[in-house]
Amino acid sequence: MLRRKTLQILSNLPLAIGEMFTVASLMALGTFIDQGEAPEFYFQKYPEDHPVFGFFTWRWVLALGFDHIWSFLHSAEAIRKQEFSESLPRASIQDVGTILMGAGYEVFLKGPSLYAFKGLAGRLAPVGVHIAMILIMAGGTLSATGSFRGSVTVPQGLNFVVGDVLAPNGFLSSPTEAFNTEIHVNRFYMDYYESGEVSQFHTDLSLLDMDGKEVMRKTISVNDPLRYGGITIYQTDWSISALQILKDNEGPYNLAMAPLQINGDKKLFGTFLPVGDINSPDVKGISMLARDLQSIVLYDKEGKFAGVRRPNSKLPINIDGSEIVIVDAIGSSGLDLKTDPGVPLVYAGFGALMITTCISYLSHSQIWALQDGTTVIVGGKSNRGKMEFPEEMNLLLEKVPEIVESTLSG
Amino acid sequence: MIFSTLEHILTHISFSVVSIVIAIRLITLLVNEIVVLYDSSEKGMIVTFFCITGLLVTRWIFSGHLPLSDLYESIIFLSWGFSIFHIVPVFGFKKLKNYLSTIIAPSIIFTQGFATSGLLTEMHESAILVPALQSHWLMMHVSMMVLGYAALLCGSFQFIQQLDRWSYRIISLGFLFLTIGILSGAVWANEAWGSYWNWDPKETWAFITWTIFAIYLHTRKKKKWEGVNSSIVASIGFLIIWICYFGINLLGIGLHSYGSFTSN
Repeated sequence: MLRRKTLQILSNLPLAIGEMFTVASLMALGTFIDQGEAPEFYFQKYPEDHPVFGFFTWRWVLALGFDHIWSFLHSAEAIRKQEFSESLPRASIQDVGTILMGAGYEVFLKGPSLYAFKGLAGRLAPVGVHIAMILIMAGGTLSATGSFRGSVTVPQGLNFVVGDVLAPNGFLSSPTEAFNTEIHVNRFYMDYYESGEVSQFHTDLSLLDMDGKEVMRKTISVNDPLRYGGITIYQTDWSISALQILKDNEGPYNLAMAPLQINGDKKLFGTFLPVGDINSPDVKGISMLARDLQSIVLYDKEGKFAGVRRPNSKLPINIDGSEIVIVDAIGSSGLDLKTDPGVPLVYAGFGALMITTCISYLSHSQIWALQDGTTVIVGGKSNRGKMEFPEEMNLLLEKVPEIVESTLSG
Repeated sequence: MIFSTLEHILTHISFSVVSIVIAIRLITLLVNEIVVLYDSSEKGMIVTFFCITGLLVTRWIFSGHLPLSDLYESIIFLSWGFSIFHIVPVFGFKKLKNYLSTIIAPSIIFTQGFATSGLLTEMHESAILVPALQSHWLMMHVSMMVLGYAALLCGSFQFIQQLDRWSYRIISLGFLFLTIGILSGAVWANEAWGSYWNWDPKETWAFITWTIFAIYLHTRKKKKWEGVNSSIVASIGFLIIWICYFGINLLGIGLHSYGSFTSN
């Protein structure tokens, strides 16, 4: 039952949004076009021989009712039905209008009717909220139909071309000139906490254009991407590509490292240096494991722990008769590349949504009044401050002067 | 070492004080208003607020990052949010004091007790931040979300208790916080991973929560629907928030696994 109800509400939303958009435009228009004047006023202001904007004449104004967008309530019953209503015997509606103007209201007076409002922002903001949501949805649609995405793991020192990595995400995606850029991974390195956990990982990138000229150089890290030509490069992952070692002072040899499966988020990489006859079916060797680029753990050909070495320490280790020096641990940078034409729209929508939601909490009050003989009937409502509004109204209405018989007849 | 002991002491003080406050509230409900007791229970809530604030600050200094990176810390933050939404109205709306304390104090107890219970003992130690959480967005996004949830929970709960006007205000505030929280999360995700929305379970349920409360705010507009319908929506919203906040964590999957029971 709830689902049907939700569907009902949601299905009315597009219509509601459309209506709100129209209402917003009309309200804005109502601020520019003077309201409630006699037709002659409009004949003068929007004449046929000099139309505003080339076409806008009094005929438009009167035909579309732009002279009375602000609705005056013409009956006493309608006014009494408002959330707040009061009758002021022996009062003049002009006085009410003056008091309201003094309190910051925009007042419109037409004959015996009065309409006043305060806090236009609070009235328009909800419309802004819906417009912001439309922006977000439009941006999202553009993202879904026009983006490119791609991932690549690049060992330190290597490079790739942007266009080779990016794949289109929708039918509107079309590559740009920037796709020919070549990206060099100059250096990949990591920072660690004292406990040994990874704190951050960085990649120093160079971007070269088709002529081989460096157009950009930046070191990226997680939460700090690189932006160029509509393409954004994010640091999202890392890996260890190879260990560079010296064996018995020969080398350096590059041993490719492979990721090993362990539980949880931790990573483990391993490689293997065969000892003895490489072609024998059960070849044994020295195993080297690394959790990060900081230290390598070595095991002998029986699988027994042999020692730990830090790359670049130049400290040799003797295992099974061979002297091993870990020269370097070469990391790989995990990069995600993306183009997204919808992002500016979506961000604009986000900003608008946050601001308009804030503004919509501002109070907006409306007041109607009608001069009925010597009594003025006042009614009003407010979107916020349900308790303060009647208090404010009562305070204001107390200021309206009471008209004593003798002045009326004079 | 000093910090963790201090933390421990503060947690236990706030837990004990809130228990005493509840006991006092119950006594005053059963026996006619004993003003002195009532005032001391009010002071008790203020003491609790300062204890929780102290707890958060201690944790912040000790760990070097804002105390919002895992489930334990966010629960403490939630309790803090509850205690704020208690203190603020107390100074503004004297006549509502009575109802608010009886509701909010138990809520704080529940969350604090749960946090300090055996279920979460492993998480008491402050953990270091993984690279993905090292961002200024962390402060804004998570604090907005937790404060938003605290406000919306308070508001919906009060709505069920028929505190119409006041709960409408708190829910409106909570809705604003939730909006900012969700949007800042999206922008952060885009900066970190290049995608502002992934239909991650937690994101999806936060969006559902947002939609439910948007519906609530719209039901308040129509005169006929005000009252019963909006209470229904608010109650649903109450449930949905708990699903979003806790239920998703039980699943332990997705981008928000930092807050799950299974991640260590």
